[in-house]
Amino acid sequence: MTGPRLVRPATLDAALAVLAEEPDARCLAGGATLVAMMNAGLAEPGVLVALDGIAELRGITVADDGRVRIGAMTRHRETAADMRLAGGHAVVRQAASVIANAVVRNMGTMGGSIAFFDPAADYPPALVAADAEIELASAAATRRLAAREFFVDWYTTAIEPGEMVTAIHLPPAGTQPSIYRKHARTSGDYAIASLALVLDGAGARVAVGACGPVPLRSDAAEAVLAGRLADHDAVAEAAALLAAAADPVDDVRGSADYRRRLIPRLLQAAISELLDTREAA
Amino acid sequence: MLIEGSFTIAAPQARVWEKITDAGLMAGCIPGCEAIEVVDPKTYKARVKVAVGPISARFDLVVEVTEEVPPERVVSVTRGDEGTRASVVSAENRLELKATEDGATEVVYASEVSVTGRLGKFGLGVMKKKAQSLSEEFVRNFRAKVEMETAS
Repeated sequence: MTGPRLVRPATLDAALAVLAEEPDARCLAGGATLVAMMNAGLAEPGVLVALDGIAELRGITVADDGRVRIGAMTRHRETAADMRLAGGHAVVRQAASVIANAVVRNMGTMGGSIAFFDPAADYPPALVAADAEIELASAAATRRLAAREFFVDWYTTAIEPGEMVTAIHLPPAGTQPSIYRKHARTSGDYAIASLALVLDGAGARVAVGACGPVPLRSDAAEAVLAGRLADHDAVAEAAALLAAAADPVDDVRGSADYRRRLIPRLLQAAISELLDTREAA
Repeated sequence: MLIEGSFTIAAPQARVWEKITDAGLMAGCIPGCEAIEVVDPKTYKARVKVAVGPISARFDLVVEVTEEVPPERVVSVTRGDEGTRASVVSAENRLELKATEDGATEVVYASEVSVTGRLGKFGLGVMKKKAQSLSEEFVRNFRAKVEMETAS
């Protein structure tokens, strides 16, 4: 049995040219998931396009107006350690800090993680709550999609054949705090359920992870929370709306019913912690 | 895992029965079905491609009808594998047609499916969601074909 052919382009254009020519090609980012999938016989790319030699895909830049660009090849460890991700961006940093373990965080990348899109992964809800945009490039064009539109279905994203994730963009965040909360069986496991919350004006943007095909946001729940974050009844009502809208699976990490029951706990804990932070500030 | 559901179709029971036992028509309704072959009146062979995110699999299936009560019930057993690959799928299927008072037909289906091998390593929870969405796609396709013919 022969393995895939490995190419290691030095520029983004060269990588995109390979993706355009080889329908059987797959990008190799950090390899944290893809290599494990290949070992398990679940993925068999004909060509691996290693992205680690492409400088323009690496690193985090913060513009003067507060916009943030995170290169697709930025490792979880770098994201977790970057204290410029504060206020409304802290949710993304916190999500990075609880992914798997130190070895995976040293290797794994944000672009790789969201392109694979495990429904229980940490970045998807954080990016949806942060109103992030995903930058996609092919040999023909570059486009940007809201995170909410990028995540499409179980393990399915809006990435088209020949395209790859090149960057994640965060809008200016302001100084209001944000938080990522994860409930897992053990430290480093995928979430049983998780919740990302960004305070926004008098309300909050909330995205629930691991409880459906895509990160769950509920306009109705956010409308209930607006102006009533300190009101326990409002929080309970919003949590009930989110739990009702969830579509979780039964699996080894927990039953669908258990996952739904975790949502109110996560929401209450996240809001009370954020309100305490805001008062202390 | 148990995949089950029911749907109502605006056509008489006898017509639905005729369509549901029409291998060629069924091949056009089953999501990912690339080929179907009638071996004998009780045995069908089918090749079906399934993809969940980055993983795709092509199964060669043999469906054996173990009980047939026209125009009400079919019970069958499906076995299949991925060619040289290690995944094996098997299923016990039950399909019932019930005439409704207004001349339509209620179709009730249930399959107990098991998957072992490489795809068994993949989350069963997500596989079940995928199977349900494939069932819904089948229902849409089948309904479109049968109701279109009934209307014309």
